[in-house]
Parts: sequence; structure tokens; C-alpha cells
Amino acid sequence: MEELKIGVFICNCGSNIAHHVDVDAVREAVEAMPGIAIARSYKYMCSNPGQEMIARDIREHQLNRVVVAACSPRMHEKTFRNACRNGGLNPYLCEMANIREQCSWVHSDQLAATEKAKALTNAAINRVRYHEPLESLTAEMCPATLVIGGGIAGLTAALELADAAHQVYLVERTATLGGNLARVDLTAPHLDSARDLLTERITRVRANSRITLMLNSELQSLAGYVGNYAAIIRTKNGSGEVQERKVDVGNVVVATGYQEFDAGRITHYGHGKLPNVVTSFEFEQMLRKGRIETRHGKLPQYAAIIHCVGSRNKEFHPYCSRVCCMTALKYAHELKSANPACYVSDIYVDMHAFGKGHEDFYKTTSEVKTLFLMFEKNERPVVRKAGPNDDCEMLIEVNETLSRERIEIPADLIILMVGMEARADSGEVARLVNISQDQEGWFMESHPKLDPVATTTDGIYIAGTCAAPKDIPDTVAQARAAAARILGKIAKGKIEIDGVFAEVNEDRCSGCRMCNELCPYSAIEFNDQTRRSHVIPAACKACGACVAACPSGAIKGRHFTVEQLHAQIDGVLA
Amino acid sequence: MAIRVNPKLIDELETYGAADVQNCYHCGNCSATCPFSKEPFVIPRRSMRNLQMGLEEKLKGTFEPWLCYYCGECSQQCPRGAEPGETMMSLRRWLTSRYDLTGISRLFYRSWKAELAALILVSLVTMVAFLVMGFSLGHGSLGVYAGAGALFPDHLVHILDLALAGLLAAVLLTNAIRMWWLTTGRNRNLHISLWSYVKNVFLLPYHFLFQARYSQCEKKLPWLTHLAIFLSWVTMEVLVILLLERFHSPETVWAAHVFGYLATIGLLGGTIYAMVGRVRKRETHYKHTHPTDWMFLILIAGAAFTGIVQHASYRWLGLDSVANIAYLIHMMFVVPLLAVQIPFSKLSHLAYRPLAMYLATVHTDALASQQAGAAQTEPVRLAA
Repeated sequence: MEELKIGVFICNCGSNIAHHVDVDAVREAVEAMPGIAIARSYKYMCSNPGQEMIARDIREHQLNRVVVAACSPRMHEKTFRNACRNGGLNPYLCEMANIREQCSWVHSDQLAATEKAKALTNAAINRVRYHEPLESLTAEMCPATLVIGGGIAGLTAALELADAAHQVYLVERTATLGGNLARVDLTAPHLDSARDLLTERITRVRANSRITLMLNSELQSLAGYVGNYAAIIRTKNGSGEVQERKVDVGNVVVATGYQEFDAGRITHYGHGKLPNVVTSFEFEQMLRKGRIETRHGKLPQYAAIIHCVGSRNKEFHPYCSRVCCMTALKYAHELKSANPACYVSDIYVDMHAFGKGHEDFYKTTSEVKTLFLMFEKNERPVVRKAGPNDDCEMLIEVNETLSRERIEIPADLIILMVGMEARADSGEVARLVNISQDQEGWFMESHPKLDPVATTTDGIYIAGTCAAPKDIPDTVAQARAAAARILGKIAKGKIEIDGVFAEVNEDRCSGCRMCNELCPYSAIEFNDQTRRSHVIPAACKACGACVAACPSGAIKGRHFTVEQLHAQIDGVLA
Repeated sequence: MAIRVNPKLIDELETYGAADVQNCYHCGNCSATCPFSKEPFVIPRRSMRNLQMGLEEKLKGTFEPWLCYYCGECSQQCPRGAEPGETMMSLRRWLTSRYDLTGISRLFYRSWKAELAALILVSLVTMVAFLVMGFSLGHGSLGVYAGAGALFPDHLVHILDLALAGLLAAVLLTNAIRMWWLTTGRNRNLHISLWSYVKNVFLLPYHFLFQARYSQCEKKLPWLTHLAIFLSWVTMEVLVILLLERFHSPETVWAAHVFGYLATIGLLGGTIYAMVGRVRKRETHYKHTHPTDWMFLILIAGAAFTGIVQHASYRWLGLDSVANIAYLIHMMFVVPLLAVQIPFSKLSHLAYRPLAMYLATVHTDALASQQAGAAQTEPVRLAA
């Protein structure tokens, strides 16, 4: 083994670290340790001069290990690995000691904090002695993409990719394209037709030779890793026969959409019992037929719209479904334009008019004399049949917030604004493509703000209402963003795989397959011929679950070896 | 018990001048800016809400619109252009029609043609009555204005004056009692002591004569204009009803006439100011004009103008016949103004406003003592 020449770089982080940790005392403590070629402290190690200092010291002092005692590796590990690479050192020969988040920020006693910083730095020095140079791997990127779902999100993503001259497989479970949007008449707030929005997309998708459209089809299985997925698609043809087809794709866009809340779950509203209580989708059907009427074929004199059916309620779904408020306003407009003598009551909890043009739409809905009545979030209006002397079919009783009166509202037709919920089979889809769901069943983003289209599995993207309730513009934007992310990867041609992953020593593997089941990323494959497991580096996230579980000790976590971890523990306890 | 919403009421109020009430989304800016909005009277927001929801009984039972003098601040502050000030104005018209049991007021407010027809009819009846009185009963001569042989002898006119005043007072009193019943009398939850009614009674003449609350609005000019017109009108009524003989005597009685001149200036000046304002529409409270507002202003201006002609031709020019004709036309303005507008239209507010101020104080007292009583009977909470 070559002689170790370790450089230790201790960051002040302005006063973030230096205020509670005596940085110079830490430097003095490590300076004298064996193998330390140089120890420095500096105001901002992550700054350009700081990084240049590390690179220069590596060259001048022929350093072969680097320890940076600074902030969390989540913040700057990439920065310092890069500085090492610039100095001619393999980036994996660098180790960080977190003396900010785990030390100076959480302690007020300067002496104790300094001691802890010494221990953490010592642990990093101990560990780095056992580091090995690692190389990142590359894999081919298959330029074809699988899009699951033929709604507005799936159609948009497919077109975006195919327009850039790449193959797309568009899989749709039903026999028609358009998804939930195809059930809608006009869209808010501009009252343009949903059919017009869809027809253009569907015509282009059908005409595009690069899009292989697979209707009546479902994803059966997905194997492989980013750039190299193999998907098996089951298609039912007209005579009920099932065909299976394997397609190779590099990336997947999941755009499976939502399902509507079942209004019958709220018994107070009488959906399914009272004939003139309809859901928003049932009302859309009326609108598409061009006749707004009660079950008895009469024009409604009083129409009432109830918001937040199944949404924003602790009993059902706590979240806002985002599109219902504007859709309700659209209904008020459509009711008034069909029959100006109709009195429309809009019974809402809060009016969420957040989008572009929505506030104006809210105002114009007031101007056509819609009566807005407010109720409290966790209360609920009660619908009952009107008596023989009333001039209406039904009465809605509710505590009205703005007037603080208990009121009853006449209604001949009641429209329930049913919210969106995750599809009943979303769990199955999540399992197939190996992505996570939140507690409501929505697919989870890699980062809710900074990475809202990627998931925790490389190469799997989500778009539209399968991730959370969204309106059309947001859905289209997300679909296009997912396509753009995939196009970027395809343009690169190859994918780079981090050098940190698990490796199976096939000589020691007993083929028990325990790790196959355990891996949360489906990154371990079993080779039926050799009867041994092996790790797909591109899919492995280096979580270490298999390393710990392997009864034969056959799996090694690269960069997290037993020696490294033991040395680190020894160092912190020393 | 739930109250039934009536979305149709808002349509009915439109005929009384309400506009854009539905635009209100209850941000509360209007009540925040109103100098008079203070619990228990939330002006104008509560009335806006009750009107939107069509809670007719609640609206009938509130005198909140009468506590507003339409300075226009609320309408200026409204982000939705819902015109709360004008809504209060139209609610006052609607309430007037609710207090009037005959239904005539409702007819007049909803149809300006009906009110105009009534004004013309009363005007013509007045003309016929005066001509019959002058030529047939009194055997007077057109050339004689005052004294023996006068066409319209003082004592006869005086009797007519008193009869009309008595009739109008009776009608107005009936309406005022109805207002009391709707807002106060029928409310069983409110316990008002007789003493409270008695000790606050001074508020009636106080607000009647000075419109003291109007003076608390931020802008003072509208109050001064209103006060000028009102005091001039009251002065004229006193002079004409109580001192007619002295006022009509051939020699000028300065002690009475000085007031007459001042009142004439006040009436004419105030009316012209209001008319110009309503034409120019620069100030918020002049932006919307109901037909009854024009009729009112034109009648006052006409009465003042013909009064001047009559006075000038008799006293300064000695043209008795011209004075008699001017007087006849003068009465053709005055009688419809009083007989139509006091019981059934705009002028009735001279009774309802002071009564509302009085009742507001009485209500506030009663609520305060009820709350104090409730606080006393509530069990004492021990510190945890």
C-alpha cells in the first residue's frame, strides 16, 4: 500500500461553523496525526479560491486522500469531489465531515462543539484511509419511450417526443383516446371546447408514424433500468384475445390520470336517491347533449352547485382538487346562458381562483347574478325533498358563513362538484414501474418543487393528474417538461452511472434470492443459468439493504465497505 | 329554523334602483370605511348580504339603511363595483314602500310614469279646487291679491293648509308606527324598557332638525346642502301654515319676511346645487339618480321659483292678477310635492330618519343591558 498523504480542509463557513467551533483547535489537533500531509482552515471552502486551494495542495503535496470538514455532503460533496478531480485525484478518495448541520448549528457550548468537531473530523480521516478509487460507469440510452395513458398528458408527452423524431409507444387501457378530458364539454375560464383541444392532439397522434398507438392495452411488466427498460404490453383485440408484445424503451412517462370521487359516499347529498342530484360529470353529459333539464324534462328554475364534494374534508380527502371551483363557475355561466331566468346558487367553502384569468372569471360569474353562499370546511349542506307547497324540487339546508344564518336554498337541479382521487389501481401501476405514492395514492415526485416530473426511479417520469389534481395548463406543462427531460437524456446518448453501488461476489452467493425481494429499486436480478444474483449498477441507489441482509456476506457496498464503516466508528469514538 | 333564501328579491330591488349588488364578495371594505358601521349595526355589508340572499323578513326588520347618509365612501372603496351606497339608497326606497300599507309607494317607485301621473293629477285637482274656491265660493276677483275680494282669501287657504298638514301627519304617523312594529315591536327577543323610550325621545327633534349624524360623514358639504334645503323648507312650512295671515298682509312684516327670503335662497340654491351635481355625476352619491329624485328636485325648484314670481309681482310690481296666477301655479307645485312625496315617496324620509336614529339608540341600550344581564347570570369561571 502506498504511503498515505492526507490533506484536511476545515471550513469556517463564515461564522456558521467558526462561531461555535474553534476551527484552529481542530486543525491543530489533526495536524499532528500520522499520515496528515497538510491541514488548513479557510473562511469559505466551497468558494472558488477554496476549491482551487484543495486542487493546488493535491498537486503540490502529492496528496492521495482529502478530508473536508464543512457542511453536509448533501450540500457540497459534489463540489469537493470535483475539486479533487481538478487536482488530479480520483473523486471517491475524498470524504466529508459534517461539522455544520450536525455540530455547530445544533450546539451552543463552544468547548463541547469543538471536541465533537474533532471527533467527526477524526472519523472522516480514519475512513478515508480505506477509500478506494472508483470509476463511474456508462450505459447505452435507448431512444424509444413508453407513455402510459392516452389522456391530455399522455398525448402531449407522446407528441413532444415524436415531434423530435423519437419512437414512442403510447399505451391506453380503453378503446379511445382523450381520457377524462373527453368527458368534458367546455373548459374554464375561456369557455373553449375540450373537444377542440383534444381533436387536434388525437389527430396528430394517429397520423404520426413514430407513435405506436396501443389501445385496449395495459403494461404487464417493466424490467431493466434507465436507458434499457423492457416493457411487456398486453393488448386485448376485438374478439377478446390477448396478445403480449415486448418493447424496448429508455424511459417511461406515467400519465394515468385520476378517477372522480364517488358522490354516493356522502349520503347527505342524496346522489343516487334524489333524481335531480347529479355529479359534475353527469352534468357535463347534459351539456354535451345540449339540454339542461330535470329528470322530469323541465327547465330548472333554481339550480344549485355544491363545491368540494369529497375534497378538503377530513372525512374524505383533505386536499383541494384544484379544478372544481372554476368548473363550477363555468356551470353557472352555462346555466345562465342556456336559460337567463334560471337562478343559480353556488354553495362553496372557499373560492380558489388562483390561475391566470380565474379571478376575472369569478367576477363575471358574479355579474351574471350567481348567488354565492359560503359554508365551513368541515360542515356539510343537507339536501332534502321539498314539500308540495314549495316552488322547487329540493331544499338545501346549510349554515351560511358570511351571514351567519342557517338557510335553506331552493333547487330543482343540484350539481355536485366531485373531486379528483388517485385511481383505484394506482398502487398496481406504482408497483409495476417501481415508484412511490403519497398517503393519498398520488405518485410522488423526486422533489416536489425542484424536480416535479422525475420520480425516485431513474427513467420513470410522471405527468398530469396521476401525480396530484391539476388543471389542463398545468397538466400539459408537466407532460412537456417530462418529454423535455427525456429528450435531454436521449440527446446525451449515454447515461452515466455513479460509481457507488452494490456488488455481488458470485463465488460466495448461495442464490437464496433474499436480496431480490428486498431491493426497493428492483436493482437485483437473478440469473437462472448461474443460479446467482447480480446487481444492475444503473438501478442501484446504494442504500445498502442487500449488503446488510445477505446471509452469506456476498454483497459489498462500494464506498461503504465494512472496513470503511468500522474505521469511521472507531474514529468517532477515539 | 332555517330561513328560506329568495334569489328573486334582488331582481325586485333593481326596480328601486339597486345595481350590481350581486358583484359583492364580502371583503368588508365598505364596512371598514363607513364611519357609522359599528356593532350591532354592520353598515352596509349586512344589508348587502341579506339582499343577495333575499332574506326579505330580515331586510324588512332592519333600519340600518336609514343610518346611512350616502357619503359614497363605500362605493368608492368597493373592489368589485358592487355600489353598496346605491344599494342602501334603493333599500331605503324599498323600505318606504314596505312601511306604506296602501301599496301606492311600491307602485310609484317601480313606475316613474305612475308617480308622474299622480303628481299631474294632484296638480290639476289643486288647480280646479283653487279656481272653484276663488271664483265660485269666495266670489273673488282675479285683480285682487289680498284683502277684501281677494281671489284666494287667506282664511280659506289656511284651512286647506291645516287640513292637508293634518292628513299627511296622520299618514306619516301610521307609516312610522309600522316601521316601529317591523323593526322593533315584533321582535320578541328584544326587551326595551319604557324608560329607554322616554329618555331618548329628545333624539327625534334633534336629528329631525340638524341631521347631526350626517355631519359626522367625512365630507361636510353634502350635509350643509341638505341642511340648507331642509331648514329652508321647515321655515317655509312654519311661515305658511302657522303665520299665513301675517305673511299675506299688504304691508311687509319684516320679522316674518326676512325668514321667507332666507328660506327661498336656501331652497333654490340647494336645489340647483343638487341638480347640477346629478347632471355632472362627479360625486358618488350623485352618480345614480332615480326618477323620483328628479321629480322631487323639479317640484321644489318650481315651487321656489313661482313663489318668487308671486312675491315680486304683488309686492314690488303691484301686478295683483299676475301674482294670483303665479300663486295658483305655486300651489300646483307645492300640493303634489307634499301630498304625493311625503306619504308615498322620497320626502317620507323626514320621518323615518330621525325615527331610525332614535330606535338605533334604544336598541343599542337594550342590547347592552341584555348582555350585561347575561354576563351576570353566567357562572363564574374558576382559574384552572
